[in-house]
Amino acid sequence: MIQLNRNYHLVPQTNDTVKIKIVGLGGAGSNALDRIVLDGVESADLVAINSDVQSLTSSVANEKVQLGREATRGLGAGGDPEVGLTAAEEAIDEIRSALDGAGMVFLCVGLGGGTGSGAAPLVASIAKEQGALVVVFATMPFTFEGKRRSAQAHDALASLQIAADAVICFENDTMGDAVSPKAGIHQAFAAADETISQSVRAISQLFAHPGILHIGFDDLRAALANNNARCLFGHGEAEGDNRAHDALTRALKNPLMDRGRLLDDAHKILVNVAGGPGMTLNEVQILMEELGRHVGDESHILFGTAVDPKLGNRMSVTIISSISVGVQLPAARPARITAHVEPAPEPEPEPVPEVIEAATPEPEQELIADEEPVAPPPPKPAPVARPKPVIKAKPAAPELIPAADAKPKAEAKQETLQFEAITRGRFEKSEPTIVDGEDLDVPTFLRRNVKVK
Amino acid sequence: MGKDHILVGLEIGTSKICVVVGESKPDGSIKILGVGHAPSRGVRKGEIVDFDTAQKCVHEALVDAEEKSDVMIQSVYVGITGSHISSFNNRGAVNVPEDQEEITDMDCENVRGAAKEVSIPSQNAFIHSILQHYYVDGQDGVLNPIGMIGGKLEADFHIIHGIGNRIKNTIRCVREIPLEVEDVVFNPLAAAQVVLNQNQKNLGALVIDIGGGTTDFLVYVDGAVKQTGVLAVGGDHITNDISMGLRIPMARAEKLKVEEGSVILGNSLPGETILLKDDHGFAGKEIERETLNTIIHMRMRETLELLRRTLLQRENYLDYLGAGVFITGGTSQLKGIDNLAQDIFEMPVHRTHAQTMSGLTSAFENPQFSTAIGLIKYAQAIQLDRPSGWLSRIKRKIPFFG
Ligand SMILES: Nc1nc2c(ncn2[C@@H]2O[C@H](COP(=O)(O)OP(=O)(O)OP(=O)(O)O)[C@@H](O)[C@H]2O)c(=O)[nH]1
Ligand SMILES: Nc1ncnc2c1ncn2[C@@H]1O[C@H](COP(=O)(O)OP(=O)(O)O)[C@@H](O)[C@H]1O
Ligand SMILES: [Mg+2]
Ligand SMILES: [Mg+2]
Repeated sequence: MIQLNRNYHLVPQTNDTVKIKIVGLGGAGSNALDRIVLDGVESADLVAINSDVQSLTSSVANEKVQLGREATRGLGAGGDPEVGLTAAEEAIDEIRSALDGAGMVFLCVGLGGGTGSGAAPLVASIAKEQGALVVVFATMPFTFEGKRRSAQAHDALASLQIAADAVICFENDTMGDAVSPKAGIHQAFAAADETISQSVRAISQLFAHPGILHIGFDDLRAALANNNARCLFGHGEAEGDNRAHDALTRALKNPLMDRGRLLDDAHKILVNVAGGPGMTLNEVQILMEELGRHVGDESHILFGTAVDPKLGNRMSVTIISSISVGVQLPAARPARITAHVEPAPEPEPEPVPEVIEAATPEPEQELIADEEPVAPPPPKPAPVARPKPVIKAKPAAPELIPAADAKPKAEAKQETLQFEAITRGRFEKSEPTIVDGEDLDVPTFLRRNVKVK
Repeated sequence: MGKDHILVGLEIGTSKICVVVGESKPDGSIKILGVGHAPSRGVRKGEIVDFDTAQKCVHEALVDAEEKSDVMIQSVYVGITGSHISSFNNRGAVNVPEDQEEITDMDCENVRGAAKEVSIPSQNAFIHSILQHYYVDGQDGVLNPIGMIGGKLEADFHIIHGIGNRIKNTIRCVREIPLEVEDVVFNPLAAAQVVLNQNQKNLGALVIDIGGGTTDFLVYVDGAVKQTGVLAVGGDHITNDISMGLRIPMARAEKLKVEEGSVILGNSLPGETILLKDDHGFAGKEIERETLNTIIHMRMRETLELLRRTLLQRENYLDYLGAGVFITGGTSQLKGIDNLAQDIFEMPVHRTHAQTMSGLTSAFENPQFSTAIGLIKYAQAIQLDRPSGWLSRIKRKIPFFG
């Protein structure tokens, strides 16, 4: 059994924040909800919806809706989505009232079974009808669960993609990769629950402030807009001297990221960096620079940063994106250097990434004065490995905070900025050198936690 | 033969592009006629990432070489590297036809083909198949089987392959100049031909070419190439580390590395600093010497340790390196790198450059030019192609044309 030992007391709702309701639907959804509570989430109502009474009783949610009192008599839907849908239709009014007043609904569901697959599209459309933005966190069944479950899951996913505003879809197969093959199914599910919990928490943090809600949501939708998509999600937290680097490393370690390699193919990538008041501009830069190595040249980064006093000395990174599932892993990709235009007649200076023009040093004059015909070439001018400081070092952007919000107690404040491109300095355009999961383009002293002044 | 005695090597390096023009003498020696070079742009970790820019640099280096050597360059041997290149050893076997008395060069060709009958990734192409040893009817130690009597011919090869498109891309870059590409050669194979002599190859030697973007390596044991590879880490990484660690621009970091840097720790006085002048010559930032050296040390140690682990992954060839380790390439000039390498490999380490050439001494004494000069030596071997020399061990057909 899950023990509830921390963060059970959720921060009370205030009127100026959007009311978020997190819904766990079906057995898997309800387990994920338990995990979310265990990890702690701020300012949200928790709703469990299930046809299985036993599962419902043990749920930690403060609001519970039983589906199909008649149709299933307290038992599950037996893996049949038709039954799941009938059960939900029977309880439509209760679902309505449970979701009432929500500005955002996060619907967590394991697709493949009866209740979740059958009821999720209906629950999503009810929430939408009532004016909420609906984000679905769905899992797809393991391959070993069989074709039937997989087909049911895909049908439900297709309906959800119509009914909801955004769908974040996780494959159990991929999430389970992190778990040793010998570990049981429970451990694999637990790993999946943890990923879902992290993503729910991270996304609710994204929307913790109403001032930027619409911007943030468009970004989220853009990052997830991909037909036939596979969701890339990574979240990491760390403290200590190298917390920026460590947090990113952890985020990229998420199996859904494939160590960041998949990011190369993503078009829009949403990145949120949060930290306590001590977070520095330099740390954010280091992190973004490192992340830049994993991102393709064409990718667009939607970047947000938030100061959240609750994080204390920690820094957290969340990366959300999607790729269409046709994309192959990098190893199997053809060389990036392919089509090229004719050489331009005019000689041009070395292309320097546009964002860093201000920081690019002038080429140093003749470092080695040597008359020899074979003198070593002077070191070439290279772009500085630092992005242009577009991030304001201020812990919060006052202009983004509505005036009415002037409360003494600081809530999580957020500013959202757009990063046009990220420079990778010297290693711009080259493939990252990743050996045993370590990005060797990152300075060794940083990875070894050696302090330099 | 006509102009055939003029040989040109081209290295499109990460830091510099280098064109060496040499004259092959009938006695097997080489005279360097001129070296042209240009700073390299558009190349990262040994691979072209900005085609047009790289092409311009190649052109620049070519013009420079033509001026200095007074030779109109028509064709070149091109060095290649990059982390996409990998290698393995494989044995091929063929049965000598019953009606045939002696083993012929045809059989030798066939045994090479047999050794290449292994699956490599579909987008990859063979770059080299380098002969190691022949076996006739199971008996080893055969240097030249042609003319021997036997029923079964076997041979071990070291096979090097890489992503076809990337190799073609390099070839295209050169051809559009326009220049004829005689052959493409994996960089450390070229460099080894001039930093090692035959005796060192026989004794066993590890050649490490640490350039700007990659560290290329090659192992000779018993006169045969046993292992080769590329780590996509080089001198640029050191410079980048310094730039980030000390928060100074790349150009300054580079200068600091070359002029002041060392991999040896504990040699500076406590609190000893280096004063960095700003652009106008005024006193600027103070940098602690030990900090600079720590950044360099950590990167070099990591890279050499990774190389050591890589070499131990297959067979332990490190136990057979009687002649020791030979470091070349621009980064081999880093102060103390030989001492650090000695610590890590636990055997004698030499910094080297091209040996045994005549002509421009200053050229072959620069370790940055080892690969380009080596290309000429390699080319000479191919062109002289005698059946029993070491050169025939390397002979092959290039699959990249057409
Ligand atoms: N992450 C996670 N996934 C689970 C868990 N249990 C089941 N799943 C997955 O979710 C899918 C649906 O299972 P359930 O949620 O148990 O099914 P249900 O929606 O309750 O449907 P019925 O039991 O048929 O009423 C399964 O096919 C599994 O792939 C869990 O504890 N965690
Ligand atoms: N004296 C020196 N000390 C340390 N590093 C050096 C020195 N001279 C050159 N280098 C480094 O050598 C590298 C270039 O070596 P080179 O063999 O020419 O590379 P490439 O073949 O990749 O172009 C650069 O990273 C440069 O900083
Ligand atoms: Mg159930
Ligand atoms: Mg080189």
